[in-house]
Amino acid sequence: MVDIEELKSKYLNLEFARLDFVVDAEKSAIVARVSGETRPEFIDPAHPEFEVFPAYIASLSSGRHLPINFPSLGGIPVDGGKAVTSIKPVPAGVSLDGRTHLHDIYDKSGRSGRMIFLVSRMKIYDAAENLLALADSRMVIRERSDA
Amino acid sequence: MSIVSINDIEFGMELGPWLPDTALANSTAVANAVGWLNAPRFTSHEGGRKEGLPGALVPGILGMGFLCALIHREIPAARIQKVDCVFRATLIADQPCTVTAVVTDIDTDTRTAELDLLIRNDAGETRIVGTATICMPA
Repeated sequence: MVDIEELKSKYLNLEFARLDFVVDAEKSAIVARVSGETRPEFIDPAHPEFEVFPAYIASLSSGRHLPINFPSLGGIPVDGGKAVTSIKPVPAGVSLDGRTHLHDIYDKSGRSGRMIFLVSRMKIYDAAENLLALADSRMVIRERSDA
Repeated sequence: MSIVSINDIEFGMELGPWLPDTALANSTAVANAVGWLNAPRFTSHEGGRKEGLPGALVPGILGMGFLCALIHREIPAARIQKVDCVFRATLIADQPCTVTAVVTDIDTDTRTAELDLLIRNDAGETRIVGTATICMPA
């Protein structure tokens, strides 16, 4: 059985990925529009206060975001949820920097065994090093009995 | 009643129910917009069934989008400080769902309110739950 405290001591809060990217305003606006969003600053890229839609920000942390040397825990990670914390509006069309670390590791046990939750957090900065947003991705892995 | 300040928000106030558009075309649009170009589970019912699903999925981030849209539709002055969604079970494209929220806490000093968020399918089953913190203008 995997020792959660040991995983935490080895892997929490260590930046393991860094990504420079630019959000395409129209792509964010598409996500906002099909979500049923009505506020112009999310659906109209020409709006003077246009900002990236929270659900689009959440997509930036999708996928298997784990340190390269993180041990295999058994089953395939499932997307257990997403969270976005907005600190300042995230602009489109400008260079942004996403820095990812493991923010939390915890487990829950039930009748079907133990589930391990891995929360990776991308901190999004602008070119002036202002922290704009946090994008959390919660992966759930059903522990393999021999892991 | 128009909600323009934190004083207009009441504990227990309900948002919705709202029925967002779960059309497959919208799931496809989201998958394409975020770069999931090879993800048939979001773009075709047949593709979803080939992966053992009941049909094509509504991406979780689109569920989050529905919840953000509900907040903005009913409280246009609100700024979402945080939204946190737990994907409890799959939401299937082209099947109706209902989006609701309820105010669970209010802090007039910080002009913030907490909401519990919920998406149910047409069988009334919980698919996505979440929480949000909103901030109202001064």
